[in-house]
Amino acid sequence: MRKIKVIGILLLLVVLMVQCQKSSVLPAEDYDDRLSGGGETVFNATSHAFSQMFTGMGTYDNYVHSLGDDVFSRSFVSAPAPINSGLGALYNNVSCISCHHNDGIGLPTAGELQSSLLVRISQPGTDANGGPLAVPGYGVQLQDKAVFGKLPECKVNISYTYNTYTLDDGTTYELRTPTYTLSNLYTPIASSYMLSPRLAPPMIGLGLLETIPESQIVAGADPNDSNGDGIKGRANYVWDVNTKTRLLGRFGWKANTATVITQVVSAFNQDMGLTTSILPVENSFGQPQYDGLKDDPEVADTIVNAVKFYAQTLCVPARRNTTNATIKRGEQLFALGKCVNCHKQTFTTGVDVSRPYISSQVIHPYTDMLVHDMGAGLADNRPDYLAGGQDWRTAPLWGLGLFETINSPGYYLHDGRARTLTEAIMWHGGEAEASKAYFSHLSTADRNALLAFLKSL
Amino acid sequence: MKNNLLSLLTCAAVLAFSSCSKSSKDDVQTTDATLETKVITDFTSVVANPDYTDLQAKASLLNTAVTTLVATPTDANLLAAQTAWKNTRAPWEACEGFLFGPVEDFNYDPTMDSWPVDKNELDAILASNNALGVTDVNALQDTQKGFHAIEYIIFGLGGTQKAANITAREKIYLTSLTQSLYNTATQLQNSWSASGGNYTKQVTTAGSGSTVFASRKDLFIALVGSMADICNEVSTSKMQTPLVAQDSLQDESAFSHNSIADFKNNITGIYNAYMCTYNGATGTGLNQLVAAKNAALDLKLRTQMQAAIASFSTITTTYEKAIYTNQSQVKAVQAAINTLHDSLDGDLTTFVNTNIKD
Repeated sequence: MRKIKVIGILLLLVVLMVQCQKSSVLPAEDYDDRLSGGGETVFNATSHAFSQMFTGMGTYDNYVHSLGDDVFSRSFVSAPAPINSGLGALYNNVSCISCHHNDGIGLPTAGELQSSLLVRISQPGTDANGGPLAVPGYGVQLQDKAVFGKLPECKVNISYTYNTYTLDDGTTYELRTPTYTLSNLYTPIASSYMLSPRLAPPMIGLGLLETIPESQIVAGADPNDSNGDGIKGRANYVWDVNTKTRLLGRFGWKANTATVITQVVSAFNQDMGLTTSILPVENSFGQPQYDGLKDDPEVADTIVNAVKFYAQTLCVPARRNTTNATIKRGEQLFALGKCVNCHKQTFTTGVDVSRPYISSQVIHPYTDMLVHDMGAGLADNRPDYLAGGQDWRTAPLWGLGLFETINSPGYYLHDGRARTLTEAIMWHGGEAEASKAYFSHLSTADRNALLAFLKSL
Repeated sequence: MKNNLLSLLTCAAVLAFSSCSKSSKDDVQTTDATLETKVITDFTSVVANPDYTDLQAKASLLNTAVTTLVATPTDANLLAAQTAWKNTRAPWEACEGFLFGPVEDFNYDPTMDSWPVDKNELDAILASNNALGVTDVNALQDTQKGFHAIEYIIFGLGGTQKAANITAREKIYLTSLTQSLYNTATQLQNSWSASGGNYTKQVTTAGSGSTVFASRKDLFIALVGSMADICNEVSTSKMQTPLVAQDSLQDESAFSHNSIADFKNNITGIYNAYMCTYNGATGTGLNQLVAAKNAALDLKLRTQMQAAIASFSTITTTYEKAIYTNQSQVKAVQAAINTLHDSLDGDLTTFVNTNIKD
């Protein structure tokens, strides 16, 4: 009996000690800065940091995620084939993973095997649902690859002009300004047209962003700048082909897609030439490249749903070195520079009763999920629903510090023109003009602190 | 008095406990750093580099065997080419046990080992007037080149290829395919070698100058993560897909009937990385790091790896047949791999996170 008492006391002491140690590691606030994805944060800073499955799901959900993972990395082949059939006839790439390399941001080249840049096209005006107006013979996206014997729609040529600038402390940086031109058009384009290049974005945390209540996002909008801070922020309401309704746009560089499922079937259809029950018409329909096969939909609903589920259930990597003094300082400067007014730190996800692991999570995506005028320098001048020609959605910054690790070297912004974080910041304009100026005026030490903070995300 | 004695004892015990844990921690940390560095260095010099060098050598032999086959298309030469293909698969599948670094960063993996083969495209290219030189082949989609395109030509559907049936166009294509494969294997080998891209240095300087791995922990997480990933890929993808579809055409190496060897070599690659061994050479492995702190975990991992590797011998036919006739054996192999996966993804990852400090 005594022995038990002694052991008991000992145990209690050990437990107390351990608890003590644990709480001292965690910050005093009611949440942990490191947990960018709330309960679905993964402590992994390797090249596979963006490829980690949610925890806390049931066996079946784990299986569906794995199936989606499998399909995400599969190469599709031309029809008919016993497996992965239906690629093309027109496409941009043969698998999801070949653009979303390591589930991360891709390479800003076009037309090569591992290229991750695609170009949207439209003519002035809007379609019946308020979206971009298709160009006859081309649709709303250029496919620069085709199955053997068929003509790709065109070749996309990217050229850069380079200019050197100087920050206040004398540090020089270079911006490369891209020009996109088309050649080898399979048929002439009769109308005037607008192009918008888009780089494959990272796959992390999409399910969390999808679960943020619409009211929380819309509450941040300030279209008339009523608070006078120079920052507006507007919600982009878009046509959702899956539900046949108008919904808040959340995904894509201009927030032109409302849901992950629509994002998935659109990518299957436009990027790979794969039809689904939601989008059963080939992207080449009505064009000479059309295969005429009666095999649509080429991708079964179970597969589509698995890929959707995979995209919804990828963890967000934890922040690193959050207690470091320099990084703390950088975080303050990020707020002082009003960067955080658009790159909003925190949201709380809503409740999805079927998925408790995704519900009521305090997340740090560093985006307000709204579109902002980013100035003429970044503009594609191609409206996308309510997003104007200079508007871009605030890109989530979680995982930003790992871009170089995931996909060496890292590229930033909608078309990968920026090769460093400094370049990415200095491309900001429009509503972000003052924040950019703030950054350029910083002392060397402060600027490095701010960059160190971004690297910790 | 007794109570006092008890409290005294308790205090002493707690003191002893805390001081003990503290001093041992300090001691172990110095030892750990040395041991961790040794494990990392040996991984590059005993496993990774030799595996990639082996792959390059075997790809060269395959290229030679195909040159001979094209010049003298006898069935003996065809068999020699088929054997050379299987011999090249072995080091490739083994190195998939640690799939990180240049093999991913520079897309050497999809370039060499995309699957499935796009047969329609392949037939269309063969029927076209494409010159089929090495540069032409390099420009093709990954599903039209690499291991499985070569496999399709030299083994044929169901492994029934005859030397006399290989057409003149196929010979040109095949020659460029094997040359292209060799070129990619060479690039991969160079990417790790000291005289080339020297990724080896990025690994060995993890936590001390490496621009890829900020800490040794990051490196070990990358290594263990890759080991777990390949388990998952073999069990829930490569084995599961044809099994549930009941379609042997969905097997990875269906033409050569080499699927089981492929799977087994994948798991062997994990064992190689863990134990630090390749082709008979040995070094200080991750197993020693684990055993130093948690002998039971080390034993469990080794047992599970050996069990998973050994389980393949229960499938006594080709995988293409086994999915129809030996399903219980197939499922038992999957279960053994899943068990290993869970230990790598769970226990070993936790071990690394807990014990590797910097």
